[in-house]
This record gives sequence, structure tokens and C-alpha cells, in this order.
Amino acid sequence: MDELDILKKDWKQQEASLPKLSYNEIYKMLWKKSSSIVKWIFIISILELLFWGVLNILLSDGEFWKRMEIIHLKEFTVGVYVLSYAVTFYFIYRFYQNYKKISSTDDAATLMKNILTTRKTVKYYVGFIIISTALTSLVYAYFTIFHHAATTEVTDPAKYSFSITQWLVLTSAIIFGLAIFLGALWLFYRLLYGILLNRLNKNYKDLKNLEE
Amino acid sequence: MDKELEHQFITNLEKHQNIAHKICRIYTNDQDSHNDLFQEITIQLWKAYPKFRGEAKFSTWMYRVALNTAITLYRKKKRSIKTQDFDTVHFKIKSEEYNGEVEENLKLMYAAIKELNDIEKALVFLYLEEKNYREISETLGITEVNARVKMNRVKTKLKSIINP
Repeated sequence: MDELDILKKDWKQQEASLPKLSYNEIYKMLWKKSSSIVKWIFIISILELLFWGVLNILLSDGEFWKRMEIIHLKEFTVGVYVLSYAVTFYFIYRFYQNYKKISSTDDAATLMKNILTTRKTVKYYVGFIIISTALTSLVYAYFTIFHHAATTEVTDPAKYSFSITQWLVLTSAIIFGLAIFLGALWLFYRLLYGILLNRLNKNYKDLKNLEE
Repeated sequence: MDKELEHQFITNLEKHQNIAHKICRIYTNDQDSHNDLFQEITIQLWKAYPKFRGEAKFSTWMYRVALNTAITLYRKKKRSIKTQDFDTVHFKIKSEEYNGEVEENLKLMYAAIKELNDIEKALVFLYLEEKNYREISETLGITEVNARVKMNRVKTKLKSIINP
């Protein structure tokens, strides 16, 4: 007899030592809370999708719009808002569509693929947020600097004009600060999802390696 | 109606609970984790049960959902692993039935299975449960050819442990 046949035979005998749960014990389990990865992904994704929307609303008070008017960016800001809400709703819709597809009764490969696709939707959304934040921040910085005269009383213009070097330093400082902030944000996401999806990514790769 | 569904489900699961327990033995190393995983499998089965229309056998359907839970859905809780649990809780080999060498080999193979990755564990499990390649490929979502290739690799891996 082959070693694996012996193993197979012994495997059957192992059944005798398996736990036996009663009807009532199983019944109690039905009402316990699931701690599945899909649940966590759902909660975190919803928080992310809502976070930026809520942040936008909180930051845009009357003061904010007055300031936008001063630096001639009111129309621009309205456009940015409309666009970003449209994009957010589009992503929420896509997320929901993909999320609905996740089913534990699919085969293992399909299930993993659907979870990863759902996750990717939110990843692209975060990518969009980071890139659009970078672009709009630059526009705001540019307009704020060029209209700074509108917010300050200038008596001696020469005192307020910058030399070329000063401009360079200021611009690089802004870009540098922005890059650090957005980079940190990106890193945070990578870490969060690295922890959450590490095992899933590995298993999907192991399974898909078979197809090569 | 819901009561009826609930009763039907629990009766089915009670009858086929061995499938889930065996998966727990392969994928966990101590009794607490075993119970956690069993619990999650039960929840996932129950959540999916309304969609189970009885076209397939309950057991066939259960293999799929339970393995999906072990491989993909279940989030391991962090806990300190008590090493002594390993032998006492899992795979009791009846020494009186085997001669010393065979017993030793079985121990080595069970220990080796624990070291495999999640996908290889699923393959070994389905092999030990005498599933054919068509069923294995359908459960995992890979082609039959690949299931065969990978299975042979895992078998060779296990054999080489006892015949280095």
C-alpha cells in the first residue's frame, strides 16, 4: 500500500475523534456576528467613500466661499465640487455593483477575484482623490499668491514683491509639503490594505499560478 | 417559513458537520481557532442557505462554502499559539493499529500538511475526501489539467518528506 493510501485510510478513522455539536449548539451559532474579511472591506470602504464627501461639506462654509470669490475661484470651485460629487457617486455605484457580486457559493477563484475587484474600485477612488487634491491645491495656491494683494492692504508694493529666488523657494515649499502630505496618505492606504488583503492576494496568486 | 428553513438548515449541518470540522483541523492549530473557524463557516453557510435550492447535494454545496470561508473569508484572530495543543487536539493516530514506522510516517505527513499553503491544503483535503478532478476544479475555479498538475506536485512533496 502506498503511503498516501495509508494516509487516506487514516483520514477516515480521524472522523471518530471529531467534535460533535448538537442541534442547539449549532442553533446558537447562527446568531453570532460574522468577522469575515468582506464585512471589514465593506465597512472601511463605505467610511472612505463618505469621509471625503463629508469633509468637503464641513470645510465649505460661508467664509470659504467669500474667500474663493476674493481670489476669483468661485466658479472653478463650484465646477470642482460638481465634478467630485459626480465621480464619488459613480464610484459608490460601481462599488455597490461589485460588492453585490461577492458570493460564498462561487468557486474559490471567482470569489477571490470579485473581492479584489471590489477593493480595487475603492483604491481607484482614493487615487482619484489624491491626484485631484494635488491638482486643485496647486491651482488654489497659484491664485492665492497672485491675488494676495486683494486680501492685504498694500502701501509699499516693493516691500511685498518677491525676488526670483523667493518665488522658487515658495513654490518648491508648497509642492514639497503637498507631496509629503499626499505621500503619507497613500502610504497609510497601502498599509491598511496590505494588512487586510495580504493573505487574499497571496492565495489568489497561488491559485492563479496554476493557470500558467 | 423561516422557522422551517432554519430547522432544515440546522438538521442538514448537524448531519454533515464533519466536513467543516475536518477543514478546521487542516487550517487551524488549536482548539480555540478551530471553534472560531467552525463558527464562521456556520455563519457563512447560513447566510448563503436561502440561495441553496437543492439542485446540488447539501454536502457538495457545503464543501464549497466551507472551503471558501477557510481560504478567503475568515480573518484569523491574533492569539498566542500554545504549541502543546497541536498534538493533543489534532490528528489522533491510534498507535495500536500501526507498526512504529507507519505511525511515524503518518505523523510526519500530518505535520507536513500543516506546513502547506492554503491552496495546497485545499487540494490535499479534497484528495483525502476522494473528490474527483472535475469536482476539485469546480470547487477551486481552476482547470482540471491544472488541478491534476498541482495535485501531483503536492503528492510528491508529501511523499518526499517520508522518503527523502
